[in-house]
Amino acid sequence: MAELVSLTIDGRTVQVPPGTLVIDAAKKIGVEVPAFCYYEGLSLQAACRMCLVEVEKMPKLMAGCTLPVAEGMVVRTETPTIAKARKSTLEFLLTNHPLDCPVCDKGGECELQDMVFRYGAGESRYTEIKHHVDEKQWSPVVYFDAPRCILCYRCVRICDEGMGVGALGVINRGVVSEIAPNKTDHLECDECGMCIDICPVGALTSGAYRYKTRPWEMQHVGTICTHCSNGCKTTLGVRNNEIMRGDNRDQSGVNGEFLCIKGRYAFDFYHHQERLQSPLVRKNGKLEPVSWKEALEAAAARLKAARDAGSKIGVIGSTRTSNEENFYLQKFARLGLGTNHIDHHRTGDVVTLLDALSGQKDALATTADLYEKPAIVVLGADLALEHPLLSFQIRANFRHHQARVYAVTEKPVREDKYAAAAIRCDAAGELAALETLREKLANEPELVIVFGDTVKGDAVRKLVAFGSSLGKPVKYVALVDYSNSRGAMDMGLVPELLPGYRPSGQTGMSAGEMVASGDLDMLYIVGANPLEGGQPLGGKPFVIVHEMFLTETAQAADIVFPASSAYEKNGTVTSVTGEVQQLKKAVQAMGTKPDLEILGLLVREMGLAAQIGPWTPDKVFQEIRETVPGYNMPLPVIATGGAVQTAPVNGRIEVDARPDLVRSSRDGLFTSGTLGRYSKVLNSVVEGRHHT
Amino acid sequence: MANTITQIIESAAAVAKGMSVTFKEMMSPTVTENYPDEPPKFEERYRGAHVLQRDENGMEKCVACFLCAAACPANCIYIEAAENTDLVRISGGERYAKVYNIDYNRCIFCGYCVEACPTDAITHGHGFELASYNTSTLVYRKEDMLAPIPPGARPPVIASSGTAANGH
Ligand code: SF4
Ligand code: SF4
Ligand code: SF4
Ligand code: SF4
Ligand code: SF4
Ligand code: FES
Repeated sequence: MAELVSLTIDGRTVQVPPGTLVIDAAKKIGVEVPAFCYYEGLSLQAACRMCLVEVEKMPKLMAGCTLPVAEGMVVRTETPTIAKARKSTLEFLLTNHPLDCPVCDKGGECELQDMVFRYGAGESRYTEIKHHVDEKQWSPVVYFDAPRCILCYRCVRICDEGMGVGALGVINRGVVSEIAPNKTDHLECDECGMCIDICPVGALTSGAYRYKTRPWEMQHVGTICTHCSNGCKTTLGVRNNEIMRGDNRDQSGVNGEFLCIKGRYAFDFYHHQERLQSPLVRKNGKLEPVSWKEALEAAAARLKAARDAGSKIGVIGSTRTSNEENFYLQKFARLGLGTNHIDHHRTGDVVTLLDALSGQKDALATTADLYEKPAIVVLGADLALEHPLLSFQIRANFRHHQARVYAVTEKPVREDKYAAAAIRCDAAGELAALETLREKLANEPELVIVFGDTVKGDAVRKLVAFGSSLGKPVKYVALVDYSNSRGAMDMGLVPELLPGYRPSGQTGMSAGEMVASGDLDMLYIVGANPLEGGQPLGGKPFVIVHEMFLTETAQAADIVFPASSAYEKNGTVTSVTGEVQQLKKAVQAMGTKPDLEILGLLVREMGLAAQIGPWTPDKVFQEIRETVPGYNMPLPVIATGGAVQTAPVNGRIEVDARPDLVRSSRDGLFTSGTLGRYSKVLNSVVEGRHHT
Repeated sequence: MANTITQIIESAAAVAKGMSVTFKEMMSPTVTENYPDEPPKFEERYRGAHVLQRDENGMEKCVACFLCAAACPANCIYIEAAENTDLVRISGGERYAKVYNIDYNRCIFCGYCVEACPTDAITHGHGFELASYNTSTLVYRKEDMLAPIPPGARPPVIASSGTAANGH
């Protein structure tokens, strides 16, 4: 650790490492230096001159955002000269700035408004006609209003450095300088909205939120994105039981400032017009809306009869429902229905990884590890499309810590651009390709290996053996697809394993086998669409489904319960890195109930309440913490919106968990399984691409 | 004796003084309003029921900035905003109030909304006969408060589905 430098800011002494910028040193002692273009973590721009400070022995005001500290420096941030400079800077920024605040989406949370309010002049001396440019729509997501832009270049930098997309640039010079999109008049990019989020003013606005409401009108509910497995925290702005926008204003999640298009905008499926609002029961061959009472009674009677007759019942769980729901479902299936035919869509071979790592400590990487560890191996996955947060973390790691990144993939990936080595090979050749990197990897002090669904079964064991043979600390991430894919596995939604990877001692049918089987009497499906693509059922089972929409599976059902989405319930989910986080209910969709409640009511109707236990999220989570290995995490951290990684199993998992069934859907940036179909914003981006 | 005379004179003087006020007031114009037999008179700045103003082109002045709602201490203003398009152009700004309600069960006629409005869209009119037997009628909608379209002005564009279809 280098010697600390001490300096004086506004009469107070502060000690910081050499190389620290004055603006950051000031922040450390709670002195705010106003700034527009400076943004922590992005390259320096020094474009706005808002951060001017006075430094003793320096003749002119200095830009605090680019000035490194020096021993004995004396800095002042509030003097009459500085006040005058700030006032003038703001006056310049406002010369062509429209008086749009009343209609501007940023009004109320605009950094320019705040600055003018604090430091600006009360009146404008500029009476000339302002330079006007019409607003433009660049994509279904991104709108640009040039006159409001203060040319801080934050958007350009976040898109290039943060996203690795580089879709934004600057054209022209002087007062007619403008931010411009990569396709002349429109954008073709990740549509992540990071540029909109980072824009200090209302120049970049989103198609989803434009002109809808004002920031102070909303309640903000921090919950977890329901799309991919990365577990980003998204803060939903809610007004009158309607989600207005998603962002991550407090940046407290594992994702920090990051969100992709799905976490930011694709909450819109929840009020799709085809959302189911009433239970449906098949009568004379047609699904008819009925009351909850009727549907529950019908389902309970059928299930009871089937169980008492010893019929064959299959249960398929969801990769998006909460841990509580998954836990309760498997308990209901195993204890209540007496069946071990329980499964879900498995998308990554977590089981073999945990088994292969038995006895090792600290071998599972967290989201933060991808940002902190000095070397990362990406094996067989296009992270930028399939796991946007993990990809963002690795890019930031390279930018800030010069991490070495090794990409071993089938097709070119975004990581190639800055990778220490990029190797192309097909799925079968991945481990062999990795072997060619042995020497380089053995020289790394520490390593994180991220692998996709092509590495499963024995390949995982070989991979772990390879990692161990390097003689360095290696951590792993087994990629899975959806927001609670990991939780479904952890909660025992497979025949061979009980919650916490304890062997069930029994076998059972897989999801695919249940669908294809000719001799299943009943099929109970919670939030899954195994009949996707129109694949028919093998036999003629009686089918009960919990769903948000009339999917192919729901259409084939005999009873359909309208289920709540993740944004309409409380509970917990487990991310791809095994980090458990809390879901918080933001809205209530008319006529729906959370899956946990549906199961609970059914259990009560069947007279099993005493046996299966209570069905409130809190109580079930308590039971999970007490009984499921790895889940005994501190409640306050979870309850206050934090993330805790599940403890590893640390012991052999001696069952054949059938890794051959693992298959990822490979959803990209603009798809999200069956759910993605019901998001207008995702569809509009995809359609937009087809037209151009 | 003299005492009695003085007393009489003093009493008469007092009565005369009192009556002089009475007679003077009888001669001056009445202040008491003859409401409801005659319409009441208002001071110009009387704060009555609100009027949502239009500009000289007949466009609504309100741009749905929500500032009135934020300023309102009784929290009785409810707004839903929408974007102006070429087919539906209601206000002069980018945005207009699709829904604008004031709940007169709660409004205290403080005038803060009027102070807050950046476009002078909301004003206090002189309407005061708001009483009702049914409180649900006291939620005034935008249509109840909008000023009439000034004569000669082109009304806002509200394309019916027919015109939109003709456009293609
Ligand atoms: S960017 Fe800020 S200052 Fe400019 S119009 Fe919008 S709210 Fe007002
Ligand atoms: S939406 Fe994302 S990818 Fe597109 S321009 Fe903005 S920052 Fe870049
Ligand atoms: S659009 Fe926003 S973020 Fe980009 S340069 Fe302009 S003000 Fe800065
Ligand atoms: S990366 Fe995944 S979890 Fe994060 S916002 Fe995107 S879809 Fe949601
Ligand atoms: S009446 Fe005025 S203050 Fe209220 S929303 Fe309309 S423009 Fe804004
Ligand atoms: S913040 Fe220093 S110049 Fe912009």
